[in-house]
Amino acid sequence: MNSFLLTLVQFIAVILVAPFVTGLVRMCKARFQGRHGASPFLPYITYATLLKKQMVISKSTSWVFRLVPFVVLATTLFLVCVLPLLVFGGAFVSLGHFMIVAGVLALGAAFLVMGGLESASAFGGMGASREMTLASLVEPAMIATFATFSIVTGAFTVDAMFANAHILTSPALIPAIAALIMVALAENARYPVDNPATHLELTMVHEAMVLEYSGPYLAMLEYASAVKLTIFSLLVANILFPMTLAVDATLVAILITIAYMIVKVIVVSFLLALLESLIAKMRFYRMQEYMTIAFFFALAGLVFALIHITL
Amino acid sequence: MSFPKLLKRLFLGPRVTEKQESFLKTDKEFEAVGAELKSIVQSLYGGRSLRIRAVDGGSTNAEENELTALSNAYYDIDRFGLSFVASPRHADMVWVTGCVTRNLERAVKTTYEAAPEPCIVVAIGDGACTGGIWKDSYAVVGALENVIPVHIKIPGDPPTPTQILRGVLNALKQSSSKS
Amino acid sequence: MNLSFFVVLSLSGVFLSALISFISAKGQGHRAVVTLLALSTGLGAFSSAAFLLSGQSQLTITQSAWLFGTPFVLSVLSALFFFLLNTVACLASVYAMKYVEQYTEVYNVRVLDGLMAIFVLGMQGVLLAGTPFGFLVFWEIMSLSSFFLVMADKEAASVRAALFYLIMTHLGAGAILAGFMILSNGSLLESFTRLAILAQHLPPSTLFGVFLLFLFGFGSKAGLVPFHVWLPEAHPQAPSHISALMSGVMLKMALYGFLVMTFTVLPIGSSTAALIVIALGLLSAVYGVIYAVIERDVKRVLAFSSIENMGIIFTMLGVAMLTQSQGMSAFSHVALGAALLFAIAHAFFKSGLFMGAGVMVHAAHSRSLEVMGGLSKRMPAFSGAMLILALAAAALPPFSAFMAEWTFVQNLVANLSTMSPFIQGVLVLVLVTMALVGGLALFAMIKLFGIGFLAEPRSEHVAHAKAPGKLIAIPIYLLAACSVLVGLLAPAILRTIGYGDLTVNYDLHTNIVLGGGSMNPGKLLALLVATFFLVLLLRRVLSNVKHEREYHTWDCGQPITPGMEFTATAFSASIRFFFRVITRTKKNVITTPIIASNPWIASRTFSLELRQIWYDDLYVPIQNACLWTSTQVRKLQNGVIQFYIALIFIALVVTLAIAL
Repeated sequence: MNSFLLTLVQFIAVILVAPFVTGLVRMCKARFQGRHGASPFLPYITYATLLKKQMVISKSTSWVFRLVPFVVLATTLFLVCVLPLLVFGGAFVSLGHFMIVAGVLALGAAFLVMGGLESASAFGGMGASREMTLASLVEPAMIATFATFSIVTGAFTVDAMFANAHILTSPALIPAIAALIMVALAENARYPVDNPATHLELTMVHEAMVLEYSGPYLAMLEYASAVKLTIFSLLVANILFPMTLAVDATLVAILITIAYMIVKVIVVSFLLALLESLIAKMRFYRMQEYMTIAFFFALAGLVFALIHITL
Repeated sequence: MSFPKLLKRLFLGPRVTEKQESFLKTDKEFEAVGAELKSIVQSLYGGRSLRIRAVDGGSTNAEENELTALSNAYYDIDRFGLSFVASPRHADMVWVTGCVTRNLERAVKTTYEAAPEPCIVVAIGDGACTGGIWKDSYAVVGALENVIPVHIKIPGDPPTPTQILRGVLNALKQSSSKS
Repeated sequence: MNLSFFVVLSLSGVFLSALISFISAKGQGHRAVVTLLALSTGLGAFSSAAFLLSGQSQLTITQSAWLFGTPFVLSVLSALFFFLLNTVACLASVYAMKYVEQYTEVYNVRVLDGLMAIFVLGMQGVLLAGTPFGFLVFWEIMSLSSFFLVMADKEAASVRAALFYLIMTHLGAGAILAGFMILSNGSLLESFTRLAILAQHLPPSTLFGVFLLFLFGFGSKAGLVPFHVWLPEAHPQAPSHISALMSGVMLKMALYGFLVMTFTVLPIGSSTAALIVIALGLLSAVYGVIYAVIERDVKRVLAFSSIENMGIIFTMLGVAMLTQSQGMSAFSHVALGAALLFAIAHAFFKSGLFMGAGVMVHAAHSRSLEVMGGLSKRMPAFSGAMLILALAAAALPPFSAFMAEWTFVQNLVANLSTMSPFIQGVLVLVLVTMALVGGLALFAMIKLFGIGFLAEPRSEHVAHAKAPGKLIAIPIYLLAACSVLVGLLAPAILRTIGYGDLTVNYDLHTNIVLGGGSMNPGKLLALLVATFFLVLLLRRVLSNVKHEREYHTWDCGQPITPGMEFTATAFSASIRFFFRVITRTKKNVITTPIIASNPWIASRTFSLELRQIWYDDLYVPIQNACLWTSTQVRKLQNGVIQFYIALIFIALVVTLAIAL
């Protein structure tokens, strides 16, 4: 019962805070550009508006086009259920095995790609091809990162990994965390992999795939990417500060963890906006360099961890 | 300038986006229009998020310059909840500039038809409103009205960003009175 | 009534259907033959399933008087493969009923059916035979019948592919024969059990030689790089249900042979042998998957994907061998179990995909993905099944292949810290390569589905395509259902495999325990479905479902045609670029000016040459060397009879000198 309650709290808190995170990143970026920027709560209104709008469905599409938003959002909600975002020891932590997490992320990416291809326009196909490339090249780095965590902590679910990862006693985690951050940037289509604010179809990755979606379906896809951004923000924050997560379902503990969550998303959003303002987007055809760097960070972590354990 | 200082200035210091009180006299109007727009969009959509698809129907690019100015640091229409988007599928409004040339007639039409309803059409600049100096040329269709229904016209060659925002406000007034 | 009777009945049924097919009049008997084939293979599948569930470790079918007393036995391992073979063969026969009728002008139906039955019979025999002799006889039946099946459409390309296949498969069969000869000291009639005892007394260097022979023999059949060159040529040329059998099941025969020889007959090998297997496995996986991504022919994509999958299976086997040689039998068992689970998954999804490819090819009148598209609108149910199969092939949760990879990776990581640094290095390489291969496999499968089924049709034929008939579609639906079921029942399957003695010096009595509790695919699927329905519910509650309108794709104002869609070539461009060192594709742009005075107005033709580096850099030199040698030898053929007699005499003397 305790664990169900914890998962429920995490689920509700994350899905409620997700639009705020996207809005906050946008606002911080606007501030870095010297602009006033929109309110961080704007995405809530945008999604509400979209839900009320009409949908225009392309004649070229089939049932897959309609399935995509549901699957993409469902896979992100699945991750919200199984990952340690606000609490440790939720009801579904046994499903938080790193292979499942990687697999479910890939499942979501695969469906998004199909949505992009369904539009029958060159833009959708271009975005789809790029997203697919990124999703497949990010896989080795992600698995190697999780393998490092697993070796250091002796656990296989992300929940147990984070609960047992003590960064001070295991320096092998440092390159792994660097790799995790790079993976997180790639997974969320942020700089330097993709420019989330671009209006040029030729430079888009994520945005190009959702060009054909409108109304509620668009809201679902944008919401899914907001939730995904929140998941990864919290994951990166939690690996550094695992003590901020609740372990039992008392009212005080829950309130504290929610307060921590707000602090964490604000700090991460600020840092993400800072990063995006400091660096430029990489050329897409140099993406394998980025992925190789991420992979070698992860591999370095893995090697350090193995040496550390063997010695 | 050191980095923390820069951050401090960016976040806490004076912004390029002018505040109402420090605004130039003529642009007080702009702020007022913006505020009113905000409230109208709020009542219309139950919120204040409005996404714009801009279409060039064969303009001289003078209007485009003004549209670009709308999202710069000085005018920053983002703060009113307006933003430009990459696809008419995402749009709540379609902004058309220029006398519609025959070559772009279809483009303007399909953009309007591709946008989900409700969709507000705004003709920006003299070209889009009346056909401008090209009115009876064989190469242009003329005013935007000849192609798609127009909800509001913003005259001027080109209209200033303030005028554009005021025009949008009128568009919303019009469409809210209709419904 | 015991199970062996049913197995015999199944074999006789298959044999009878071959017989009926050959004696029936032209254009008749097709339905009767495939029905009989489907029934008898179905019976075979049920009897082997019953045997597997009964928990017995061995079932003697018959101690036949023919074939020099070769015993026919079913062990847990061979029963598993027997089940796969018969299930796939049964569904392929059902599929063949209508599928072949679409191509009566192309194929000689009587011969096609008869050969298919013989092909199935050959594979059944390979699994049941208890001696090298019986094994090789059925192996040859299988190889020869599939050779004829590859060139069933009698096109030049098919004949060329078939001949290539014949050469490779016979080199392989020769290596297997030589391996048996060395092991048994010249007698092919010893049983495998006896062979295992004989092998104990051979020196390690001989055993290593035998191992290499078997590796080449079975590896060439399984399509391991660099012996794979025939596979992407031969598999696509066969009719689709035969491709399904070849890729889904015949590759498993090679796997079965390799398993029996290396794990049962040969004593536990050195780590060198294991490392060779791992190296070949990883090479096949990477090479296969890259080509699966960049290929544009739907059946070749699947053939390369088979190379990749066999690579993964052999890597798992290699890891099992490596850890066994290091004395870590628990992990070794799990790796073996994962390899078998992957093999089961592969048999189902790959045969389903090949049968589906048959439907796609029939709709498009071409094997090229570049002319397909839009099929999901025209055949929704069928495309749904294909989507499931493609996702299963991409090893995504909660489907079958994912469970195998999960089991394997989980245990690999769990055991990594307890090994010596060198082994750790190897296993880390295995881990990250498998992750890369997994990612690229997803790419290949999404390309296959996305380009083949989604968006607008790229050719007239596809635009008018009709959904496949029930008899063609149902086997594919069933295989898709199997892919889901194998994923759901993965723990149970792993336990079932572990019942009896899987092999002689090797047993799999081990619990499959995964970190953070046991593996629970049911819960995984349930949560995925639950979140899906939650989203569905929220959508219904929060927005108006009916509020929509149809319009053409947003086209930026210029009408778009299907020719502007992303093609398979364009879709995989980035991977081709990133792996250009390996693929070395050649881009040719030919520019011809239309107006002589203005060089800017020109027409351009673009072509992309996909090169097969192994073929170009390894096989072509060997081929040239053979040709050169033959040209030299031909000089002896001078037509003078005295010279020939002298040659015969010299040959005799030399032979005697060597023999005595």
